[in-house]
Amino acid sequence: MFSLNTVRLAAILFAASSLFSCTAEWGSNKSWSKGLKPTHFPGSSYAFDPDTLDKSTVELGRALFYDNILSSDSSISCGTCHSQTHAFAGHGTALSAGVDGRLGTRNTPGLSNLAWHESYMLDGGINHLELVPIAPITSKVEMNLPLSEALMRLNTSSYRDRFKKVFGADTINTKLLMKVLTAFELTLVSADAKYDAVLLGEATFTVEEALGEELFMARCASCHVPPLFSEYTYANNGLELYSTDGGRARITLNATDSGSFKIPSLRNAELTYPYMHDGSLYTLDAVLEHYSTGIKDSPNLDPRIEGPMEFTSQEKSALIAFIKTLTDHSLLTNPNLGEP
Amino acid sequence: MKLISTFFAAAIVVATLSSCEKEPTSTDGDFQIEMEYVWAMSGAPFTMNTMLHHPMTGDSLKFTTFKHYLSNVKLHHVDGTVWEAEESYHLVDLSDPNSLVLDFTGVPAGEYTSLEITFGVDSLRNVSGVQTGALDPANNMFWSWNSGYIMIKAEGESPNSPTGAFAYHLGGFTGPDATVLTKELTFPSGELLEITPDGAPVVHTLANPAKLFHTQGTVGNEPMVHAPGTTAGIMASDFNQGVYIDHVHL
Repeated sequence: MFSLNTVRLAAILFAASSLFSCTAEWGSNKSWSKGLKPTHFPGSSYAFDPDTLDKSTVELGRALFYDNILSSDSSISCGTCHSQTHAFAGHGTALSAGVDGRLGTRNTPGLSNLAWHESYMLDGGINHLELVPIAPITSKVEMNLPLSEALMRLNTSSYRDRFKKVFGADTINTKLLMKVLTAFELTLVSADAKYDAVLLGEATFTVEEALGEELFMARCASCHVPPLFSEYTYANNGLELYSTDGGRARITLNATDSGSFKIPSLRNAELTYPYMHDGSLYTLDAVLEHYSTGIKDSPNLDPRIEGPMEFTSQEKSALIAFIKTLTDHSLLTNPNLGEP
Repeated sequence: MKLISTFFAAAIVVATLSSCEKEPTSTDGDFQIEMEYVWAMSGAPFTMNTMLHHPMTGDSLKFTTFKHYLSNVKLHHVDGTVWEAEESYHLVDLSDPNSLVLDFTGVPAGEYTSLEITFGVDSLRNVSGVQTGALDPANNMFWSWNSGYIMIKAEGESPNSPTGAFAYHLGGFTGPDATVLTKELTFPSGELLEITPDGAPVVHTLANPAKLFHTQGTVGNEPMVHAPGTTAGIMASDFNQGVYIDHVHL
């Protein structure tokens, strides 16, 4: 999406700007103070542009992320379904309730490391991060608020002055609204788990975690590729023989993509339960059982999981111990990412 | 790093220079495009909120919404050069007469052989995040769940639809079913469009919403289209292909 040079330049500018920014402004969070682009991550689709991520822009985005003003009956915010304590996934429900208790059709995904995705939503239907908030805000079963109404509300609230202070514009338009939400979402970087500390030589795995990692690298890592634990491509994981949700095929119109969904990152998977696009599996154990014995022979089944994995109970425990090293407590507790 | 900076600085200088060249001069002129719509073969004006008979499908159709996008208007000069309108994105809404007249200024005086229009929104603007103006997603011509513009939106009522209604949201910007068409329209009888500093010619284009159903047939076949695909591709193509320049008022 961006040329390598642009990304490099932005990285350099960002690094330069971090030299002048005061760490204390952002609290003592380690992840932030290290800079938003972790040194052990590959290049991102989105540049961490210091202008985009200007503190006042991010703060406006955070305020709106947690403000009920963006739902039709002012009952819910983005943060209602994307809960920080669950790594910005749902509150342990298979499907999240929008206004009037209306249920969506897919499990709420966790939000982190969004700059590394090339397309968004479980079916990849959204081609740019800036466009993502439009879907939940306007969806009838989520926040149910037309954009024109959202802008009218914001322009007749104290946000108008707040935006004017930051952008100098007299009115808030769609572009500015999405710009601030995007800026906040880009700061949801998860790269400070025990796994990362081990990778950076600052910690060591327990014997069980090390066994889990070895198994993981051999059996799981071709889809859940470290260090992001996904390359955010799409696959059919044999959850159903014939999928009731077309998934990726709704976007590509290609029948062989039916039942394919974005491969999720396993970072913070300990807390993003329930699992799968429909939230049908409630525990990590149930997920491993699915890959052990439960894969349905869908015509679109991803070839990487055609052979049954048949994990023993000891192997499952080790894998879960390893997956738990991907839990990033700084993401879950960083006050800069919470409700203001 | 220094090399990159130099490159960027050079790029900015070049961009500044080229934008200076586009500054209006005394030899520039203006023109307008006035979009006109007729219904079917009759040549009668297309009217909204009126029950219309489709001679080919036999349907009765009452349109309550008809909007479509035009973009990247260009004029081809007799000497082979091309003038491009800046930030040329236009949402034509038949419920808003003001939107039917498009103004263009700062065109170098001279004789032009054809008018190029992209029907729909070019693919780049479909993949570049939130846009402003005519392309603002708040205009309800953008799919939130499957990024891309609704290039043509036609909604209304018909007794020939099982639901009594029809809604065609035609979009899709890539592949064989793309609903975007770039067309070079020539002026009637091979005339040239003359742009002068004094005049402001009006190019009258004629479009025919009945052509949406030319290949697709009766609304009963598929009264609702809300996603890219074969039907959207066919309907948009039939409509877009049918647009032509009827006459030019000097």
